Amino acid sequence: MKKYLLKRLLTGLLTIIIAFVINFLIINLAPGDPIKTLMGKETDDPALRAALEEKYGLNKPLYIQFFSYLKTAMRGDLGTSIIYNRPVIDMIAEKLPATILLVFTSAVLSLIIGTAMGIVAARKEGTFIDVLFSGISYVLNSMPNFWLGLMLIIIFSSVLNILPTYGMTDARASYTGIAYVMDVIKHMILPITTLVLIEIPMYYRIAKSSVLQVTNEDFILTLRATGMDERKIFNKYIFRNAILPTVTIFGISLAYLITGVSLIETVFAWPGTGRLVLTAINQRDYPTLMGMYLIMSVSIAVVMILVDIVYAILDPRIRY
Amino acid sequence: MDDTILDIKNFNVTYVNKYKRVYAVKDASFSINKGDSLGLVGESGSGKSTLAMALLRLLPEKSTEISGSANFLGKDLVKLSEEELKKLRWNELSVVFQKSMNSLSPVHRIRTQVEDIYRVHHPKATKEEIADRFIYLLKLVNLSDRVYNLYPHELSGGMLQRVSIAISLINNPKLLIMDEATTALDVVTQGQILDEVVKMERELDMTRIMITHDMSVVATSCNKVAVMYAGEIMELGYVKDVLKNPLHPYTKGLMSSFPSLKGKKEKLQSISGFLPDLSKKYEGCIFAPRCNSAMDICNKKPPVIEMDNGRILKCHLYGGGM
Amino acid sequence: MIRTIVNDKQLLFGVLGLIFLLLVAAFAPIIAPQDPYYFGPDILNKVGENGHILGTNKMGQDIYSMIIYGIRTSLKVAVISAFISGILGMLIGGVAGYFGGRVDRVISEFINIFMMLPTFFLILLIIALFGNSIYNVMVVIGITTWPSNAKLMRAQALSLRERTFVKAATAMGESKLQILFKYIIPNGVFPVIANTTVGMSNAILTEAGLSFLGLGDPNIVSWGQMIYDGKAFLTSAWWIATFAGIAIVITVTIFYLLGDGLNHVMNPKHSRGKGV
Repeated sequence: MKKYLLKRLLTGLLTIIIAFVINFLIINLAPGDPIKTLMGKETDDPALRAALEEKYGLNKPLYIQFFSYLKTAMRGDLGTSIIYNRPVIDMIAEKLPATILLVFTSAVLSLIIGTAMGIVAARKEGTFIDVLFSGISYVLNSMPNFWLGLMLIIIFSSVLNILPTYGMTDARASYTGIAYVMDVIKHMILPITTLVLIEIPMYYRIAKSSVLQVTNEDFILTLRATGMDERKIFNKYIFRNAILPTVTIFGISLAYLITGVSLIETVFAWPGTGRLVLTAINQRDYPTLMGMYLIMSVSIAVVMILVDIVYAILDPRIRY
Repeated sequence: MDDTILDIKNFNVTYVNKYKRVYAVKDASFSINKGDSLGLVGESGSGKSTLAMALLRLLPEKSTEISGSANFLGKDLVKLSEEELKKLRWNELSVVFQKSMNSLSPVHRIRTQVEDIYRVHHPKATKEEIADRFIYLLKLVNLSDRVYNLYPHELSGGMLQRVSIAISLINNPKLLIMDEATTALDVVTQGQILDEVVKMERELDMTRIMITHDMSVVATSCNKVAVMYAGEIMELGYVKDVLKNPLHPYTKGLMSSFPSLKGKKEKLQSISGFLPDLSKKYEGCIFAPRCNSAMDICNKKPPVIEMDNGRILKCHLYGGGM
Repeated sequence: MIRTIVNDKQLLFGVLGLIFLLLVAAFAPIIAPQDPYYFGPDILNKVGENGHILGTNKMGQDIYSMIIYGIRTSLKVAVISAFISGILGMLIGGVAGYFGGRVDRVISEFINIFMMLPTFFLILLIIALFGNSIYNVMVVIGITTWPSNAKLMRAQALSLRERTFVKAATAMGESKLQILFKYIIPNGVFPVIANTTVGMSNAILTEAGLSFLGLGDPNIVSWGQMIYDGKAFLTSAWWIATFAGIAIVITVTIFYLLGDGLNHVMNPKHSRGKGV
């Protein structure tokens, strides 16, 4: 088990480093730079440019920039945003909770709902429920998530007017305590619904095929031959065996959400890190971009490692 | 006869789906006494596994029709309710299947599964009781008690098969059905396991049905043999008689398609032709199209002839009209 | 072959759908009532108003015509990115699976790492920094989505490697490269092709996402671009964003059906119905 852990950690570390390098190269090799944005459209004063470049260390050779960034990043200092002149870490820390709220809630909800649907469809294979669920799953799978969000806004905010359109809280009121929580929840409903609906098909497909596959395995036949109660067979033996692929999917789903949530944040004007990245891209705010990308790569790598560990706990076959 | 463990008469199993009916087992009849070991031999598709599964009603209910009678210890398996059948399953009547690698849940320890299985019929048994009982069985199949705490993937194919056999014996069944239980193993392991089974049988006073396509398995471990073809029992009798003197053309064909280690070098004969389509009903003898000794009368249903010495035959060659 | 297609419902609908898309794309100039680039006088017309079946947008473009022409864009994006992704995946996976040993280990690690990269943001980054022409989009999607194809090809190569005809070829002195291109890749390519349909669906969705973020190519008609335009008019002119999205859903569904159908044809045990 330990060797397995170690191997996963090393791979994760390697991934982060490579992602980092790729990211660094792309950002720095691309046309356009933040100095232009800082200087504004009018000026093109070479002296000003030289001064600014000196200030942000942008005139040093690439590899020096790379290592100096690495050094400071290790200390937890992700640099200062060129555009906003604030520590990147602070900017990210401000917005991260909002994103985490969306990501985790959707991940867990879609896991539960999608898997439950898949199990039901597997047990009632061929019936109307199965066909219905499969159809729904198919269509949901084909939707662009941001479009679904927009449609939901039209239906629930515009036409029915029962849910808020934008933001995480009602900017005009200043709620505290329970009222605040309720307000956030009200604002969360549409974005989370969008994310969950998009994620459900993945869980549904895997759960359904997994349950069907396990149910046809030989050991299930043996257990039936022993006269064991069908319910016990399902709850203990089929479930435990069929749930394994779902764990892997959970990891993939989280990874997808960490990146895909930015589109939803844009649709619903949710104050999270997704939008931070998008504005940083447009403004060529290198430090912020690097910082965000680093955080994302690290999160994904950590998630994958954790998922692999959980999988190893659940499946004794792969610990060796 | 009080000594009869299982007596099946006119046992039929038919698979039914939207498009057709498949007659997998037709009019099977045989009788087994206590201590017998019956070998049920036939090619793939001859219906032997179907027969065993149908006895225990392990086939999908919606698509299977079973008729006839299967008298087991005074009760007719065909007529029992699912509840009553559940009480018999694994208690008096047990099965060991073929594919050993997947015969146990891979994510649970053997101990866990044995406990769950034992508690089906003994809900209040303690862990110690179960462990004692099972380790005794493990010894019978030549396995160390260390196996009890392992996961299935930590065992070899032969060990897993032995574990499956031990599990099938946990409630001291009167009748054990082994369905191609040694087919997936190498010859050496197969031989060892068969020896262990025979020894065990004597010690536990058990009766066995051995389903196999391999005549040599029957020769070394059974006292009676039933030869099946396309769902029908062609010949039935004591092993020593049938092997020395096979009467039915199909049995003869089976015997001559196995090379013998001693004696002259002979050309191996295989039986030409293919298995008939089981979804059709046949007027005459179902083996006639492939039979070397087929006659005109074989287009009528062959009689079931009971000879002396417990030999039963379904063939016109030995029929009354000769 | 026709019978195989007709027998499998999903493959049937997938193929029919694909034919439909191709026909519409080809005959777009005839079917579309208006040139999609024509900035007409009818601004923000509602559905059905002034003969515009699906309304118009702020620039007077006819939504219905834009949707029809949008098929061309989507198909182009789908095919080219999937093509690039497929070729890369086949080569990398084929080499890994066939050559085995250390080569395989290194490449597999590489594939795993690549799969863990947050590709969407990588794509965003590249497009944002290197320009948002539609060709950039296609190439970038292609070079970031090859890992799944590589994995499939690798698995195929691993098993094909042991087949007699491959071993015979080796014994006859054919070079490894020859074997790779003559036997391994042609024989192992089928699951990759099925997977490519999924890649096509994803490419369409990704392009839509990029356009939605304003990183699309504004010079061409694309459904994602339409949704981006429609966002500002969500409550006042809902038809701009809605129909483009529906078009995406239909097209992506067709590709999924195609992929599922191809999978069924390759693995008959996937399809329903247990034999006796």
